[in-house]
Amino acid sequence: MTGYILRRIFGAVIVMWAVATLVFFMLRILPGDPLAAMLFEADPSAAEELRIKFGLDQPMIVQYWKWFVLLLQGDMGNSIYGSRIPVSQILIEAAPRTISLAFLAFCVSIVIAIPAGLISALRRGRPIDHGVTFIAFLGLSMPDFWLGILLIILFAAKLGWLPAIGYEPLSAGFWPWFSHLILPATAAGTAFSAIIARMVRSSMLEVLKTDYVLVARAKGLSPWRVVMGHAFPNALIPVITVMGIAFGLLMASAVVVETVFAIKGLGRILIEGILNRDYPVVQGAILVVSFIFVFVNLLVDVLYVIIDPRIRVD
Amino acid sequence: MSDKKYPAPSELRRFVHDGLEKAYDFDPLDPMVGLTAKELSGPVLERRTVLRLLAASGALTAAHLMPAIGVAPAAAASGGTLRCGWSGVGEFRTIDPAQINQVLLFQISSNVLSGLTHINPQLQAQGDLALDWEVNDAGTEYIFNLREGVTFHNGDPFTADDVVYTYQRSKDPDKSIHSRVIGNVTDVVRITDHKVKILLAKPQASMLVKTLERASGRAMTIVSRGAIESMGTSNYGLKTVGTGPFRITDHQLGQSMTLERFEDYYDPDRPKLDKIIIIPIIDPEPIAAAIEAGDIQLIGGNPIAAELTDRFEANPDLNVHIVPGPGFQGVFLNPWRDPMKVTDFDKPVEELKTEPGFMVRLAIAKALDRDLFIKQALFGRGIPAFGTINPAMGFYFDDGIGANSEQRFDLAEARKLLADAGFPGGEGFPTLKLLHTPSNRRQCLIIKNILKKNLGIDIELDTKDFPVLIDQFDTMNYDLCRLGSGGDYDPDDGVVDWMQIDSKFNGRNRDKAAMRFGFFSDKEVDALITEQSVTVDPDDRKALVQKVNKITSDKVAQAFLYHPPDVQVTRKEVNFPAESRIPGLVDMDRVTLSR
Repeated sequence: MTGYILRRIFGAVIVMWAVATLVFFMLRILPGDPLAAMLFEADPSAAEELRIKFGLDQPMIVQYWKWFVLLLQGDMGNSIYGSRIPVSQILIEAAPRTISLAFLAFCVSIVIAIPAGLISALRRGRPIDHGVTFIAFLGLSMPDFWLGILLIILFAAKLGWLPAIGYEPLSAGFWPWFSHLILPATAAGTAFSAIIARMVRSSMLEVLKTDYVLVARAKGLSPWRVVMGHAFPNALIPVITVMGIAFGLLMASAVVVETVFAIKGLGRILIEGILNRDYPVVQGAILVVSFIFVFVNLLVDVLYVIIDPRIRVD
Repeated sequence: MSDKKYPAPSELRRFVHDGLEKAYDFDPLDPMVGLTAKELSGPVLERRTVLRLLAASGALTAAHLMPAIGVAPAAAASGGTLRCGWSGVGEFRTIDPAQINQVLLFQISSNVLSGLTHINPQLQAQGDLALDWEVNDAGTEYIFNLREGVTFHNGDPFTADDVVYTYQRSKDPDKSIHSRVIGNVTDVVRITDHKVKILLAKPQASMLVKTLERASGRAMTIVSRGAIESMGTSNYGLKTVGTGPFRITDHQLGQSMTLERFEDYYDPDRPKLDKIIIIPIIDPEPIAAAIEAGDIQLIGGNPIAAELTDRFEANPDLNVHIVPGPGFQGVFLNPWRDPMKVTDFDKPVEELKTEPGFMVRLAIAKALDRDLFIKQALFGRGIPAFGTINPAMGFYFDDGIGANSEQRFDLAEARKLLADAGFPGGEGFPTLKLLHTPSNRRQCLIIKNILKKNLGIDIELDTKDFPVLIDQFDTMNYDLCRLGSGGDYDPDDGVVDWMQIDSKFNGRNRDKAAMRFGFFSDKEVDALITEQSVTVDPDDRKALVQKVNKITSDKVAQAFLYHPPDVQVTRKEVNFPAESRIPGLVDMDRVTLSR
């Protein structure tokens, strides 16, 4: 088990390095000069001074080597665009917002998806199954930014129950944190709840046909015990894979919801960094996002072992 | 915004006209523009003096002459927290005045920092950090007596050394992007701890009301040496320390900035608010929902999306106040690309009209129905533009140019020009790419439709991020480009920066061997612009500026489209003094909240 985890960690580091290197060179191939745009109204010589200061006048491979050496020392560099503060400072402020949003969105999607998937599987072919399927497709089809705007209009502008925009950290209190995040989390989590609900349904349908479930029923166990004690735990295994991917995707796709709700998370930092050609910020954000993605998937693999002891890792 | 009835338009026009006449009533050869050294000396300049200085510097606008219609003070109350949304921006990258190049940033810095002078709500240029001052008869030497007992937000005392430091820092192009603004200042000398002398190469009427002014001035907005040295330039930009009515107590980059009342501010009656929270909100719908929900109470920053104005005006909980805004917007036509090619503008317009390339340029400009464009793209809010000189410039704006510019809408003439150029009904006309940013896509769709309908020519939209657009614009790598300017209060902003062959926005990174100029060049225009910059007599300057504007309009330096309005939106409980309603600024030291 330990060996397996160590091998996975090593693999994860390689993946992260490969992603970061790819992004490094792709960014510099993109057209658009970050300094010209930032200093559009200033003296033209100011751009050249800054270019030398940030080493952007040097060959790409030299820039890469310098960046990599600094990265090994834990230095992600400084933002080029405007603030010129350390990238790590920007990411440390932004990461908790995105992680909070993704976590809450994940919880929302699970709370909706699992009961919906179970009901749909147990009442297969009946009106409630069709209803759940319809709602699932509706959730999947709705753009999250559109849903987010609807939620703002209803719960913030019309009813005044919840704030329309912004973020409060958990340190400000549970309710301020939760009230600012519940709308964006619902907007982000709805589409994923549809995917997970369908996954739960099909996985349950497979498991309900197995011999051991038939035996459990034959033994006279209650329906609740049959479903929750025998069928559902086995149906969860493929669902966990999807959940792991969903969490990673939630982190990456949060940018749209972050923009609608004016939350400065990793997604927005990434997009604005790309638009402003703020290379160090984009590289740093990509590293963080890829780390989270890889870590979550590693966690999923470890969870398999805990849930199903039949899975061998040697 | 007020319970008082606003004057009728005819009364307002007469009021403004009388004010302008008085402002310009002085001997044109007098470098002191009819003012004595005593009148120019502080601590307070009379309104007449201020208006005359503004007129001579070209900064006088109609807004300065508008009668005040503020809310009665009795309805207001001190204290409280004002929540603001700053539109169209994702983060406040710096509040260091030496690096500020956006209006939305000096809207904030004006509340945190001070200058030697500041125009107050009664339009008096009173001493801000300067208690009073004297000016010599030649107008080249100013001696300022500085306020004593003023401290920076970090407790450091303010002295003459800080004025000298600010000057030294600002004149260094490595440390400030505004070094050229103080090019006429030859030296700043400390006389005592609270007395400083500023020496000029030549008289400059705009010195007190513009160069030393705390908001748009920036070059001489006083910064804290101690804070810069201890915090470093980067951190100073995020939590700028000044002597202003508010201090920055928290700044989460991209999330919010908190300003709190500075208890040791030199004026014990200001500020009124306890706290201001400013949130950058990049998209229009969230900011609209936020102000409707009451999450924010004031919208500052970039102009709000045009489609929201009607919605806000219909909301009984909101106040919407609109004034002419500074700036121009339009479409640049690359003179180095067929079929719009013009390699030499140094000819009379009638001669240019015989060239096919110029015929195409003029046809496009004349086929753009500006009224229709403003109606469709801006929901009716905007002023048709025919040049870079905008209505906010007041005295310098030529309100007759729309009737006599060669670019005025004339469909029959436009079609004839295109036919004479060899493309009757648009037949055989190549598809042109219209370069623009994503935020202008809707406008460009309307331009495309208008040109297709009116001339039969095809336009392909070319959407690019801003860094890419700027790169292509600077290197002249485009057919058509949808671009413009904002924050232009002085004619220099509109002509020096754009219309001279060496202007900083005129294709500065182009291949100069292949392209003699960028998007436009005319020797007469170059000379006129240089001359107007140093012309003190306002009537003469006005004539020069309007001549430049007419030539650049007639010769289609750009297909001008509109001058944008300045729209301020607040919730009803916000009492924003009308006297502070200067386009582009959001001074909150007198703002109160009704209970």
